[in-house]
Amino acid sequence: MPGLLTVYHPSGHDESSALVQFSSDSNTPIVYSLHHGLKSPIAPRLSISWSRGNSLRVSVFRSPETTETVLDEVEVGGKVVELKLSGEYVDSEINDAARWRRIAYGSVSPFAHLQNKKNAMAALSELRHSAPYDVDWSKYVLEYSKEINSLLGSRGSSPTSLIEDPKTVLENVEEPSSLKAAWELLEIFYADKQSQAWIPEQLVDWLADYDSLFSEQVPSVHLRLVEFQAELINIQAVEDEPAYWQAISSALAVGWLDIVVKLLRLHGSYQLNQLGNRETENGLVEAVAVLISKMPRMRAHLPDGKLGECYYNKSDFIKAWEKWRAQITKLDCSAFWLQCSHNHTRENLKLLLQIMLGNTGTLSSATFHWVELYIAHFLYISPFTSGLESMHALAQKCMQLKPTSSPHKLMRLIIGILGENTEVVLAECSRSFGSWMIAHATELLTAGSIQAEILLKEERHNLGGVSIEESHRLVYAQVLSSHALTWQIAPIYLISCVKHGVGLLEILLYKQPVYHSQVLLKNIEICRLYDLDSVSANAMKIAGVHHWKHGRNGAGVFWLQQAGDEVRLNRIAQKLFDFVGKSISDESFEQWEGLIELLGSESRTAAGLEFLHKYRDFKKSLQQVQDGILTDAARKAGEALILLMKNPSTPQRFWLPLLYDSLKLLNWQGRPLLNVSQTNLLLNKLQELSVARLRPDFVEVGMPAGALSSVRVALATNLGRAILEE
Amino acid sequence: MATETLKQFHRLPQSTYVDALRFLPPLSAFDRYVVVASFNSDSDETSIEIHALNPSTPPILTLQSSFTLSSRISSLKVAQKSLQNPLIAASTFAGSLHVLFPNPIDVSFESEVSIPEKTLHLGPITCLDLQENGSACVSVGEDGRVNLISVGDSGLDYRRIFDSKGLVSYTASRWASPTEFATGGLGNSLQWWDQRRPGGPVSQFKGNWSQGAASGVVHSIDIHPSRKHTCLAGGSYGTVFAWDLRRPQQPIVLSGIDAGEPMSSSSISESEVWEVQYDTFMSASNRANISSERVLPVMICSEDGILAVIKQGDEPTELLAENCAINSFDIDRQNPSDVICSHEWESIAFLTRA
Repeated sequence: MPGLLTVYHPSGHDESSALVQFSSDSNTPIVYSLHHGLKSPIAPRLSISWSRGNSLRVSVFRSPETTETVLDEVEVGGKVVELKLSGEYVDSEINDAARWRRIAYGSVSPFAHLQNKKNAMAALSELRHSAPYDVDWSKYVLEYSKEINSLLGSRGSSPTSLIEDPKTVLENVEEPSSLKAAWELLEIFYADKQSQAWIPEQLVDWLADYDSLFSEQVPSVHLRLVEFQAELINIQAVEDEPAYWQAISSALAVGWLDIVVKLLRLHGSYQLNQLGNRETENGLVEAVAVLISKMPRMRAHLPDGKLGECYYNKSDFIKAWEKWRAQITKLDCSAFWLQCSHNHTRENLKLLLQIMLGNTGTLSSATFHWVELYIAHFLYISPFTSGLESMHALAQKCMQLKPTSSPHKLMRLIIGILGENTEVVLAECSRSFGSWMIAHATELLTAGSIQAEILLKEERHNLGGVSIEESHRLVYAQVLSSHALTWQIAPIYLISCVKHGVGLLEILLYKQPVYHSQVLLKNIEICRLYDLDSVSANAMKIAGVHHWKHGRNGAGVFWLQQAGDEVRLNRIAQKLFDFVGKSISDESFEQWEGLIELLGSESRTAAGLEFLHKYRDFKKSLQQVQDGILTDAARKAGEALILLMKNPSTPQRFWLPLLYDSLKLLNWQGRPLLNVSQTNLLLNKLQELSVARLRPDFVEVGMPAGALSSVRVALATNLGRAILEE
Repeated sequence: MATETLKQFHRLPQSTYVDALRFLPPLSAFDRYVVVASFNSDSDETSIEIHALNPSTPPILTLQSSFTLSSRISSLKVAQKSLQNPLIAASTFAGSLHVLFPNPIDVSFESEVSIPEKTLHLGPITCLDLQENGSACVSVGEDGRVNLISVGDSGLDYRRIFDSKGLVSYTASRWASPTEFATGGLGNSLQWWDQRRPGGPVSQFKGNWSQGAASGVVHSIDIHPSRKHTCLAGGSYGTVFAWDLRRPQQPIVLSGIDAGEPMSSSSISESEVWEVQYDTFMSASNRANISSERVLPVMICSEDGILAVIKQGDEPTELLAENCAINSFDIDRQNPSDVICSHEWESIAFLTRA
């Protein structure tokens, strides 16, 4: 009973009355196994969150008690595992992920190119105060459409062998995709402004390429031909088979003239041994074949191998069309038919003439679904149909003659386009062909149509203040961002979104794992392209801190320096100094050399770290002094000492060790190395240090007990000597 | 900027991401093989594949054999011992190192020797280089370690020759001779090492870079066998420079941000230069122009999709300008006019220069 909700029956017998059919498969839970590699026991603590795309991020924690007992430091407290769930790309018919990505990559440059053109033209029209859309623009859109179209697969057939098999009626072409079919429809109706007059003929070609797609749901001419071709090998005299004549009339109805002529030439009367007694019959077959191949077509040109005579001009076409029909009528009334003894041939050839004369009943019985009938109407009844309104009326009529219970997605798209209903077209695109299609097709829909442009570009309150066009692009960018290989093309789409694009781009960039150097460099590159300096600085900070935390001090300092992060560099400096106090004061500079070189000598953002550079220089010269007695070297060391002590970035805790290390300089034999003011400076520093020692937060450095007093004595002595000298 | 006419250029779409690729030294007179480090994002699988290259129009790559690894490949090198079979060395982001020996008859992987992760380096191996004769590798990492791995008949032996304990990170390495090699790292720095003088780098290059170039990272180094004193490096901001050991403080900037002198060089790329290699292909007119004073012609590939040849004191020649990054390339040693390169957008390009 309609409208009545079913009550759950424990016995499960009443399934037929369910309003919505549930497939029981979807209720079966899918079990995924986690490979965390942790030793048991594992505490039942899990944290689950969404990661990129269809992946779950599962954090597995060890129980705290066990981690304490494990002394081995390598044993970690838990592990983060990514779990990829199946079922990708449900929105698109292309389920081969690699092929889908190829389309995504390929469409980047046409899209970006068109956006650049658009921006340039908008800038230009602002200057000239004219409408932004003109002939140039439609040229660009067509270029764009053709480029995208070529990505979706080639139209050409596979290379055929040189020796043509007369029994191969249909060419072997690669499986067409309905995505391409839909794109071509949009191109015919929206992008190709110059060929608007030939839309019917373009639709004929379109159906010839894509009729096989309809075969999945409904019988079609293509399907009939495929079936007939399979039988053909076993047939002796084709003209006796009804299937042969059906195939011919169907192919003729949808205008596949080359196939029709090829099939007609398989007629038994062409065989040399038959020619004598079936001369009239053969003449009739050939006459029909010639008429068919001479059919006037209102189009600019025909591709190789296709039959018909092209007329560019409407009046020329009408003349030729009438002449052609007159010839058909003449043949129809010819007396030769009476001399034709082969019944099948006679009746069916007459039927073909009826098709060419546009007999509605014959056309209807020769075709299968309404699109085929529609095409037949264009070819034989009303070749001058133009304007969407009349085309729509004709489509309605054909649909009534050949109703379908559940229309194919391409049929729905055709109806949407003919009905001039942009919203329906959009809905069909997004429902049947996915986010890629709609993000790229909006450019075609808006080309030259002010109404569609208003609809797509108007900012909508219910969409969070963005336009329909932008929202579709954002969705597509989201799909791209969810994959590790396509996330880097999402910025191109995001940046074309005026409202939320940049904000989402920043979020996307922040989400990337920048502690991988490759990802960090990619991030910086994207930021450079779109002038997002603050984002790249933050990425560098994250990377710097990550490197630092994992013991790669050099890389940590480098990236923090790039980011200009004084605060963190200062913190790192303090930590490093603790380390320096222990190691650098001895002999091995090799390890530090690289880091010190990295810091550079210029006044760059290095926070307190440039101290290391000066400290190294001082230590080096001091070492030389100790090696031999060189007054010159000693003087240099003395200067370095003063520089270090003067420099505000020299940490206080280094003051005493520095002075203690340079006792030799202070007690230099011969003449004093430091003058009065220099010695005073050092004494002041020493005084400052003594005061600082009284403060509770002072950190005592491990120095010999008498260090302070011996430095004080040495300084006093030096001061005395310096005064005497002056 | 000049562009060179190509006799042939084809993009061959793959269904996997190509991290690196190399021409394999010839196994026989007629076959040509390409080694590809590929990553399948759908199955999370990394493999080293050998493809037969049929340079028809369009060229055809046919997969011959593949070897699966557990982590993505950071560096891929090939070498050939004299009169012996070629070998392939690869390092991974997990830190393991693998050496593979393809069978010369059917190019299947006959045997593999490896060093597991966390042994050579903590974290990824950023770069690996194999000696010309395949007898030893040098590996470097962000952890600041430099390892020498000897490839012997019995397997792999390794020796740590330096450990900066993370104070310096290395991102590139390259052999100069059986005993010397160069490394590169952050801040566009280069180091020269000599096994006969252990304990640390023999020489350090830290040019007087301007602010911009000093923040670069060296991604690739090449050293020409006939000019061992010159170390060629490529890195961030389109920087390509040569470091002459005889004039250690003055880099010869071939492209990118200049070392202070204005108007002395032009930049062909503005982003990361991923790989540099001396270009062995020379037309007759070029050959006449080579002087011992100048740096030999250099081929580079970059993040912004440029594949170009740079000559000192000359306009760079652009071979390709693609919409996506070119991750790696290789010049065929036997036919130097042929170049193969890998695109970020899951494809391989094959080109022949006229």
